Amino acid sequence: MTAMCDVAFLLLTFFMLTAKMKPQEPVAVDTPSSISETKLPDAGTLTVLVDKDGRVFLDMAGQHTRLALIKDMNTQYPMGLTEEEQLKFTIAGAFGVPRNQLKQWLDLNPTERAQVQVPGMPADSTNNELGPWIHNARLAQFHMKQEGKVSDEYVIVVKADKDTPYPAVQKVINTLIDINVNKFNLITSQEADPNKTEAL
Amino acid sequence: MADMQTADRRSGNQPQRGSPRRLSIRIDLTPMVDLGFLLITFFMLTTILSKPQVMPVAMPDKTPVQEPPVVSPQKVLTLLLGADDKVYWYEDPHQARLDSTSYQAEGLRRVILDKKERVTRLFGQQERPDPRHPGHSKSVSPMVVIIKAMPGARYKNVVDVLDEMHICQIAHYVMLDISEPEKAFVQDPAVGLNFTVAQQMAAAYQRH
Repeated sequence: MTAMCDVAFLLLTFFMLTAKMKPQEPVAVDTPSSISETKLPDAGTLTVLVDKDGRVFLDMAGQHTRLALIKDMNTQYPMGLTEEEQLKFTIAGAFGVPRNQLKQWLDLNPTERAQVQVPGMPADSTNNELGPWIHNARLAQFHMKQEGKVSDEYVIVVKADKDTPYPAVQKVINTLIDINVNKFNLITSQEADPNKTEAL
Repeated sequence: MADMQTADRRSGNQPQRGSPRRLSIRIDLTPMVDLGFLLITFFMLTTILSKPQVMPVAMPDKTPVQEPPVVSPQKVLTLLLGADDKVYWYEDPHQARLDSTSYQAEGLRRVILDKKERVTRLFGQQERPDPRHPGHSKSVSPMVVIIKAMPGARYKNVVDVLDEMHICQIAHYVMLDISEPEKAFVQDPAVGLNFTVAQQMAAAYQRH
């Protein structure tokens, strides 16, 4: 019995340590289902989140890349961010505010951020901030890869709610095509494949 | 759970004076192991199930193509995704008859499979390299599906249609922006459509 107990707790420790914390998302997104069985790759992901009201949020993995990104963005589009605010950005998770409100948003503490109503990132063809963010994030990740700090470039992922009006998603897709991201992934939940169930 | 045994139980209830009392403690580990395995199961399942599924999508490049491919109008099926989970479809735009159906298996899937069968009967199968097995080719239907979502459509509708492409094994499909004539056509099917498949393909390759 002791041996069995040992094994059980050894495995338990292993699974607990390998388990990743689910990243906090600013909005609840109920994804549509599809028969696709491809799993999200383990490589760094850049997620564009579109909620039910069509608000756009952006999240990317990797604190080093995020720091490089916010430095680039702050130089290209001066937002007046201090060193401290830039560090806050690296651990802020998903964000969905226009550039001119980013400073204000970063000054809030994480609990306040979760409560405050944000407008989402502008992604229209006239006022598009999503494109520069993604483009610079991919560049930053590319440089990180060349320096050997990360192993892969970003996998672009679009996660939208099933009730999102399509024009909101279309704006995101058009933005991606504009910055030459023609291949991306849509996050879906699992659904039975009728071809396979018939075969059974 | 845990019981204590005195070493000298056999020799009656009178322990010998002077000799140290030897106790052996036996603990029942079953509930602890149960709990251990329960937690293992929990962590295993959450690790496996937390990984989301993705549907890979490839969109046409924005670079304009000088000579868009020539497609026979008989091969084309256009799906217009409308509001309230309705999907409208027509075949050759020149003699377009608008029809609507639902996303149910007996609705949209039947429309696609029916068209696929007719196209395959007319044009035969097409050989093309199989991306899953390099070096091999597979035969696919030469049918082309054009997917256009109208402003009233939900994101779920789009994913459902893309899913249907996988289920019906449609090799050629493209997602395009809806045009004004088509919007008017859905409003009033009597208007008809006044463009050809060639013009539609040309528009497809100059989307921006």
